[in-house]
Amino acid sequence: MTAERLRMAGIVKRFPGSVALDGVELSVRPGEVHCLLGENGAGKSTLMKILAGSYHPDEGTILLDGQPYSPSTPHAGLAAGIAVIYQELDLLPDLSVAQNLLLGRAPHLGPFVRRARRAKLAREALDRVGASFPVTAKVRDLPIASQQLTAIAKALTADARVIVMDEPSATLGESELLAVFAVIRSLTAEGRSVIFISHRMDEVMEIGDRATVLRDGRAVGVYDLASTGPDELVAAMIGEAGELVGATDRPAPEGDPLLSVERVHVPGLLDVRDLDVRPGEVVGLAGLGGAGRTTLLRALFGDLKAQVVARLDGRPLKVGSPAAAVRAGLALVPESRKEQGLMLGLSVSRNAAIGALGKPPWVLPGRLGRRLTRPALDSLGVKAAGPGQLVGQLSGGNQQKVVLAKWITRGGIRLLLLDEPTRGLDVGAKADLYRQVRHLADQGVAVLLASSELNELTANADRIQVLYEGRNVARFDPRVSPESVIAHTVITGATP
Amino acid sequence: MTASVGMASTGQEGAARSRRGADLIVKSNLLLVFLGLCVVASLLAPQFLTGRNIANLLQQSSLTGIVAIGMTMVVLTAGIDLSVGSVAAFGGMTVALLMAGGVPVLWAIVLSIAAGAAFGAFMGGLSAYLALPAFMTTLAGLTAIRGLTYLLTDGKPADSGGSEVFQLLGGGFIGYVPIVGIIFVAITILAAVVLRGTTFGEYVYAVGSNKEAARLSGLPVRGVITTVFAVSGALAALAGVLLTSRLTVGQPTAFSGLELDAIAAVVLGGTNLFGGRGGVFGTFIAVLLLSVLRNLCNLLGLGSFFQMVVTGLILLVALVLNLLIERRGARA
Repeated sequence: MTAERLRMAGIVKRFPGSVALDGVELSVRPGEVHCLLGENGAGKSTLMKILAGSYHPDEGTILLDGQPYSPSTPHAGLAAGIAVIYQELDLLPDLSVAQNLLLGRAPHLGPFVRRARRAKLAREALDRVGASFPVTAKVRDLPIASQQLTAIAKALTADARVIVMDEPSATLGESELLAVFAVIRSLTAEGRSVIFISHRMDEVMEIGDRATVLRDGRAVGVYDLASTGPDELVAAMIGEAGELVGATDRPAPEGDPLLSVERVHVPGLLDVRDLDVRPGEVVGLAGLGGAGRTTLLRALFGDLKAQVVARLDGRPLKVGSPAAAVRAGLALVPESRKEQGLMLGLSVSRNAAIGALGKPPWVLPGRLGRRLTRPALDSLGVKAAGPGQLVGQLSGGNQQKVVLAKWITRGGIRLLLLDEPTRGLDVGAKADLYRQVRHLADQGVAVLLASSELNELTANADRIQVLYEGRNVARFDPRVSPESVIAHTVITGATP
Repeated sequence: MTASVGMASTGQEGAARSRRGADLIVKSNLLLVFLGLCVVASLLAPQFLTGRNIANLLQQSSLTGIVAIGMTMVVLTAGIDLSVGSVAAFGGMTVALLMAGGVPVLWAIVLSIAAGAAFGAFMGGLSAYLALPAFMTTLAGLTAIRGLTYLLTDGKPADSGGSEVFQLLGGGFIGYVPIVGIIFVAITILAAVVLRGTTFGEYVYAVGSNKEAARLSGLPVRGVITTVFAVSGALAALAGVLLTSRLTVGQPTAFSGLELDAIAAVVLGGTNLFGGRGGVFGTFIAVLLLSVLRNLCNLLGLGSFFQMVVTGLILLVALVLNLLIERRGARA
């Protein structure tokens, strides 16, 4: 066995008008978890697509176990032993686990599928990742962690030597993540190499052996994670100009609450009592995946049937639909900006104007629409080629700002509901987004911020409510309680 | 904050510009093909450019065109209305029966169109409020409303009573210009103004582009969907009224297959079947283009079988062309 499993040398990839990769070096050892770090747009995805065979490099060479490797298609890449598990799992939701695991490679006798044999092979693959759910289950019906395990098992059926995991944790809760980590460790124990892409520093420190940091299409450094701290990595990722998410240093707002929740009840899912948000206050909602953060926000926004006993500004809050919630002064930045937040096929200004059209003037010539949205887009610093650019062409951070701009353009926001607003954003974009949220709060908007990133909550919230299995079990002042104490409650549901 | 809207990286700007360029080519592409076809037609058949022929052409295409405008609005919300042919026939029959029954002309027209709007609102409402596919609710409507139309007179044509004013509407001319043509143009302009210049039009595009995001932005998504189907039903009924006016009798068998002609024009006009992109101008040109094609075949003495083949092929070529141009625009 050579000392190097994979070497990518001098990789250059140009796109019309830009250079995505400018001579990247990447070296991965056998049995290693190698983390690939970098802000969005640094070139991680492009590099992995080249490795997988989806893109072809303009320059550079790849050696796989010392042999030249230049896959022409993803299929060829897989055959050579490179398996990529993308963030959007490429599983077919309406097929069974067994069908997915052996898609295109099902054992067959003439034209007939050997179902028993397929089930047996699939079972073996699942056992290898320690999954116990049945192979006959439909992927759609599985929890997201089990889908993740299915995707990993699928990579294993191809007997991959290098397994690339693109942000596997983005959709996982803490306990589910531990299961995936256990699988990664057993894979590396077998001598397989794992390339792990993540934005979460704590995960990288826990699972990674070494890390390569990409910035602006170049590899800026290779770090041994046993002797490197997260601050050093983040500094390398964002370069000199970047700014870290810093804890707020200001007194919590006092006074009467703007939103005063007596009870929000969704049978079997959610039972939250006694939750207040004052004007200008950012209240964080912490909890594991499925603890009810999203359900609570959707219930308040009238997006699902729920019994809501709450007061907004002393008056009973009655929301039967999102439209009614918007009229009452609520605004939601939903969990998935592409599916729920934006009209990707429409322009920036049309997206930003859409919330403001419910009131006169009913007649809206195109230019007026641009003038209408300009102040919000400018104040948020949305980077776009112009107000006519399609919002689908923007980066994640700028897209999320357009969602905010939609509400700012409408005006009259009293209560802002944020559901995982920084998912998939890089460090700089996160800090920028929170600055804008803080700015809104300073103008008297009450903010409910749901996030699975506890460090973001402690840095940006005035108070933190912890949800556990649908109930709010504890509240913390992030300036007093250390993150580890809050994290304990998040995981166990027990108050300290 | 260093950069803002209006001043940004050249790569994105280039992409946006070439996208706009691609859009422009797609649009003017259709216009160019249309003008080219007119030139070819006038060379091949000298009668093509006579006033009588042009008037004839406009007269023939206007009814399909009016229906296609309504269909465009439905398709922009990512819906589809298969019931337009049946609704048009129903409208044509009711207007004849009402007038034969002594109802004043204006009221007969208004009631027939209102019935069409009600049918549309019902099918669209079912689709919007119960989350049923519009394909299915309007397919059910296609069958049921056609049956209802036959039931009105047990399948026989209905005489409208022969009011002169009423006959002018569908068969009259101002100079060489047919009145139905003027109605078609007026409806196209009205629809364009509504789509491009009003809140409702903006909602139509938003709903078609992303229904979920529109709903979570507080938009009345179901109301918008119900309304566009009501508009489509009303315009279909109007087409039926105009046909009865021209023929002086209501034909229960009229307009069969109209939905396919209308959808063909919408798609040829560049409106995306999955919603959110397109407009009535493209549909307008596409209706004329298909009509010129048919007219040319007639002038050249080619039979209707041949016309069907040519129309189908033109549709296919136009779709592939649009796709190629759009892909190139997206990649650049």
